Amino acid sequence: MKSKIISRYALIFLGVLILIIVLLVNLVPFFWGAVTSLKTARELMIFPPKFIGFTASIEHYITVLNGSFSVAAFNSIIYSLIAVVAGVISAMLSGYALTRFRFKAKKLLFYIIICGIPLSMGSAAMVVPNYMLFSFLGMNNNFLTLPLIYIAYNIPMAVWIMVGGMQGVPYEIEEAAQIDGASKWYIIFSLVPSICKPTLACAALMIFIGAWNEYTVSSVLVNSQELYPIQVSIYNYIGYFGREWGPLTAAATLAVIPVLIVFSFLGKMLISGLTAGAVKG
Amino acid sequence: MVKAMKNKGSSVNCLLERKGKRLLPYLLMSPTLIFVVFFLIVPLGFAFYCSLYRADYMQFSKFLGLGNYIDVLADTEILKSIGRTFYVSGISLVVSLIAGVALALCINALSKKLAYVVQIIVLIPWVTSMIVAAMLWKWIFQDETGLLNYAISKIGLSKIGFLTDKDIAIYTLIFVLTWRVIGYVMVQVLAGLKSIPQEYEEASKIDGANKWKTFWFVRFPLLKTPITISAIIVGLSNINNLNVPLTLLAGGPGTSTMMVAIDIYRMSFTSYHFGESSALSIVLCLINFLLAVIYIKAVKYEI
Repeated sequence: MKSKIISRYALIFLGVLILIIVLLVNLVPFFWGAVTSLKTARELMIFPPKFIGFTASIEHYITVLNGSFSVAAFNSIIYSLIAVVAGVISAMLSGYALTRFRFKAKKLLFYIIICGIPLSMGSAAMVVPNYMLFSFLGMNNNFLTLPLIYIAYNIPMAVWIMVGGMQGVPYEIEEAAQIDGASKWYIIFSLVPSICKPTLACAALMIFIGAWNEYTVSSVLVNSQELYPIQVSIYNYIGYFGREWGPLTAAATLAVIPVLIVFSFLGKMLISGLTAGAVKG
Repeated sequence: MVKAMKNKGSSVNCLLERKGKRLLPYLLMSPTLIFVVFFLIVPLGFAFYCSLYRADYMQFSKFLGLGNYIDVLADTEILKSIGRTFYVSGISLVVSLIAGVALALCINALSKKLAYVVQIIVLIPWVTSMIVAAMLWKWIFQDETGLLNYAISKIGLSKIGFLTDKDIAIYTLIFVLTWRVIGYVMVQVLAGLKSIPQEYEEASKIDGANKWKTFWFVRFPLLKTPITISAIIVGLSNINNLNVPLTLLAGGPGTSTMMVAIDIYRMSFTSYHFGESSALSIVLCLINFLLAVIYIKAVKYEI
């Protein structure tokens, strides 16, 4: 009996230890990056490195924000907004069609879209095809190309989230509205969105994260400074600043902050978005 | 007469309406389909077409048939990086699955609020940009100024060339890739765990099963779907990952961490051999497609 209790405590201890290690490993890179970004250039050369007790300065942030970074950040905000709005609307319409209608090619169309979920994760396989087609069509270096590609990469997942969400909404509400004389378009564009707000938000969040973090295709489809999204600009900094880790970590910290803010408020939504479909069956 | 006209009118209206109703779902589907077809399917078709030609600098000069495929797959360097890609993704997959399941079981035992906080923290690597994450790790792994080497020297060991030693660099890459995906596996498994009805476990307890048996015979079979799904997504995401290898090591030192994704990228955008790079892209896409089919089978999507 005694040994059982001891082994139980050992198990709890082990579990706590694992959790602490995991949390440390997950947070240290970001924490250390933020600390580094606040040090002065001279302080960065001091060895051993200090975690606390250095004089904080925002010089690197000023360097970064005066450079092309702010343009890129602004671009990324606009790109993500376009992608989120257009993506959510079209995903919602498809979700509505897939859950409320019976039509011939339904299964086929559904599978074509769902195939895109894993396909769009593989942007290394898609980068050359996308680059070739769009430069062949003369669409590279166009303001709209990147948001359109972000939509295409993230819409399969968004459609799947919408389908899952709309299946849970009872059809009776729409029927009642129809009987009350509401038009089809009112139901689709006003009633349905207001019923499944959480699902819409969840799809929006997934599209935003995908669009904000995309690098591979963005890096080849635009090559003018004014059109770079944020990830490309950060990657170029690595070549530009080389071993100057101050500005680099400042840019990295700035790029992570929006995602972390969104994430800490909408974490539950993100988890339900990530696990959409996985829990069934 | 008027009545007949009216009747006829309404029946025409009705017909139109019915036709409209039949077309409406297609109309609603069309924006999504345009995106998927125009940005995912058509480019693949075009890439296949390009892969049959010599297409240096995007100039289609000569029809080669499957020549590009033969060239690419006969290149020992490329074969090596394909092998390396599978090696790296394989190890990362196994480690992240084991760690993810273990973590999910740990978290499942925590209180609800604490479990949520831990989940969020473990998920951070998955949602932050890979460029940023790889860069921050690169900073930690530096030879002279890195935090980790500082800690190692503090303990009294000699410094390790995490990014500069040929034999170690690949494990550094595996570490960062795995670090990124563990949270994803964990969240999937945790969602699976939560969907298991409590009665199952209680029943097995009454039947006298110990903890290990409960896990192996009750929980594990029900976790097969989330584990399969996360295995495929993690595998796909690692095989196709360009950002982390490129930012962290860029294939170096030497070619010791060269991945297929970097090969494709360099072939197209450094040496402009688009024919060969499209051939390699198509090969990679076929692998992805195979995994996608397994994914769809595993998920049991229903509409």
